[in-house]
Amino acid sequence: MDVRLQTSMVFHLDKCIGCHTCSIACKNIWTDRKGAEYMWWNNVETKPGTGYPTAWEDQSKYKGGWEENGGNPSLKMGSKNSRLLNIFHNPDLPKLDDYYEPWTYEYEKLFDAPEGSDQPTARPISMITGKHMEVEAGPNWDDDLSGSPVYAANDPNLDSLTEEQRQELFDIERLVFFYLPRICNHCLNPSCVAACPSGAIYKRGEDGIVLINQDKCRAWRMCVTACPYKKTFYNWSTGKSEKCILCFPRLETGQAPACFHSCVGRIRYLGGLLYDADKLPSSVQVPDGQLVDAHRDIILDPKDPKVREAARKNGIDDRTLEAVERSPVYKYVMEWKLALPLHPEFRTLPMLFYVPPMLPVMAKATEGVYDTANDELFSPIEKARLPIEYMASLFSAGNVDHVTLSLKKQYAVRLFKRLETVGDVDEKVVQFAMNECNMTAEEAETIYRLTSLPTMDERVVIPPMHREEALQMLNDNMWEEKGSAGLGKRQLPVRGN
Amino acid sequence: MSAKLVRETSFDVSLITKLLIISSAILIFFALGASAQEMGAKAFESKCFSCHNIGGGDKQGPDLKGLTDRRTLPWIEEFTKAPLAMSKKDPIAAELFTKYAPTIMPDQPLAPDEFEAIIELIKNLSSKNEMFTPAGAKLYRAIQPGDIDGGWRYFTGQTKFENGGVACNSCHTVNNVGRLGGGTLGPDLTAANIKYRDPELILILQNPNFPTMTEMFRDHKLNDEEIVQLFAYLQNSKAENPHAPIVATAASGATDPKFLAVGFAITILSLFGLNFIWRKRHKGVRADIVRRSKI
Repeated sequence: MDVRLQTSMVFHLDKCIGCHTCSIACKNIWTDRKGAEYMWWNNVETKPGTGYPTAWEDQSKYKGGWEENGGNPSLKMGSKNSRLLNIFHNPDLPKLDDYYEPWTYEYEKLFDAPEGSDQPTARPISMITGKHMEVEAGPNWDDDLSGSPVYAANDPNLDSLTEEQRQELFDIERLVFFYLPRICNHCLNPSCVAACPSGAIYKRGEDGIVLINQDKCRAWRMCVTACPYKKTFYNWSTGKSEKCILCFPRLETGQAPACFHSCVGRIRYLGGLLYDADKLPSSVQVPDGQLVDAHRDIILDPKDPKVREAARKNGIDDRTLEAVERSPVYKYVMEWKLALPLHPEFRTLPMLFYVPPMLPVMAKATEGVYDTANDELFSPIEKARLPIEYMASLFSAGNVDHVTLSLKKQYAVRLFKRLETVGDVDEKVVQFAMNECNMTAEEAETIYRLTSLPTMDERVVIPPMHREEALQMLNDNMWEEKGSAGLGKRQLPVRGN
Repeated sequence: MSAKLVRETSFDVSLITKLLIISSAILIFFALGASAQEMGAKAFESKCFSCHNIGGGDKQGPDLKGLTDRRTLPWIEEFTKAPLAMSKKDPIAAELFTKYAPTIMPDQPLAPDEFEAIIELIKNLSSKNEMFTPAGAKLYRAIQPGDIDGGWRYFTGQTKFENGGVACNSCHTVNNVGRLGGGTLGPDLTAANIKYRDPELILILQNPNFPTMTEMFRDHKLNDEEIVQLFAYLQNSKAENPHAPIVATAASGATDPKFLAVGFAITILSLFGLNFIWRKRHKGVRADIVRRSKI
């Protein structure tokens, strides 16, 4: 057993209000720079929709992630030899148009414009060329289903639906959407690391954060293609690739990452997970349908004495283990089995998990009266407006059982609390719902508490980073680092360096 | 007894020594004079004769007979060192350049003793009214049928020169040398044997005295066999091309249009090739989705 620590995340989609505050917090801190204008390390997508970059989930076009390849996963972008042959021209890079051309407005014109018969206007100007531009798309152009016939209709996940289901989905009365915030998944089997010809990308041993060494990056941009989530970006100004760093300078000083900290809906949970690195290869060699189970199989119980023993042997500190025990991520992913990985079929073992959203109540307008379509207060999962197959395509590689269980549990918790606080539902119905997913009253209560009333310290349990121990391995002179944290040496990334 | 003997012996020795000294001094005097003359002839042969003669009439350059009577020594020295530079300020030099155009005399950085020896030779031959005859300038054997082809192989670099010299077509071309022709840095050598007489051509091959070639062939002299074959080939180039321009001296600077056309064609073909190799490259998704949705 080779126990390692991963800083891991859960996004509770049922709570996401799609306000993009996380994106803005991230933008202001990390990507408000020349060359990074088009990057959104954190972005929020509307589903069904094509997301950012457009249709990123369609790997037949973007060639990201791993291919099953008969139980021996290989990079979808090609073999080592073909990558070497294409090293000076990577043919599978997203176009700027697939992201969007970043723009701002000529605000100063509102003040400077000479007096005229018309109001002064602030025309959009490209942040890349500096010239006036016609805005045609943006990173959340399909927000709240805007442009649905174009963007929502081309969501790659809709391929899992029947033609009838697709048509129903876009019926005016059934139109539905939810939000999907995305950051780097800090995968256990990261394809970006595997694809880098310079060895510039690495997974930090002490916490599993995936980083790009700006000194080593040589701008081959293989990681941009290899990442199936398209969360590595190429900075055209510095000539280096960059990505979400999970705000590690904040984590090292005990603060939540900026997107977690600013989250209005409080949907984001962060905590440590222990996993068995020995089991890692076999967990990506299973058929699609078993991927979620295999993924959960490598995550270890931090309370198991054997695991703790092996963890200590691997140099994981007792205080870290204590934090991992309180990890909200472990509860959502392992104990309650509510949270699922996004697109496990890419086989990168993403360590950001999502609680699939309960969808809104079915409603129908009859003779001008808008009424809920069924008698029950919460619509059962079977009558969900978004077919379960769609959710399964997103969160469990097509395995409907995992998504069904997660949604039924959430449904049962809602009924359970409704009975307790209001009492207008039939107790038998509640009991039936809870039995269906083997849930005790105690579990329902803890799920409810961590979902609805968690404090900041319950949502974000940062395992002590013990940066000093990691540094000790690299540097003899510890006094240099005393009182410092984060980025370490502050040398600007420079093209050609 | 012994003292007398010693005296007699010493007298004998001193006499022999004196005789030896005198005779060797005379020998050295003559030898030096002879070698000075020889040096002048050799230098003239290797460095001047391909274009000039003494008493043999004008060639690429003027006959140098009676040169020292026509011009002052400093003028000759300056002109030899930098003819082109001088032609820009000196009217006589300018006139010479006009007369022998388009030939341009290359700069000749001669050693001082070499220069003096050549001047002596010119004075000597002019006063005696004799013509200069080169001592070398002969092929070591007669030309045989296979030599033309062999020369072509040397010219195009298919056979390497023994001493590592650069193949001729790196800088020179000859009509019909090959499809792409040769280089354009040096002059076109078609009909070089009309421009230069046989002994001159042989001399050039033995000891090329042009600014670029002097440096390049200083340590890479052609051997006798190579000279024979190249000579045969250059002679033949005239026979094949009776209408070739007789005078073609400096590199024209104009690029062969055929070469340009071939280059252009290869570029276009390569672009099509690259487009084919990467035909499955990512060409953008969003624009495509929007276009399809509008139809």
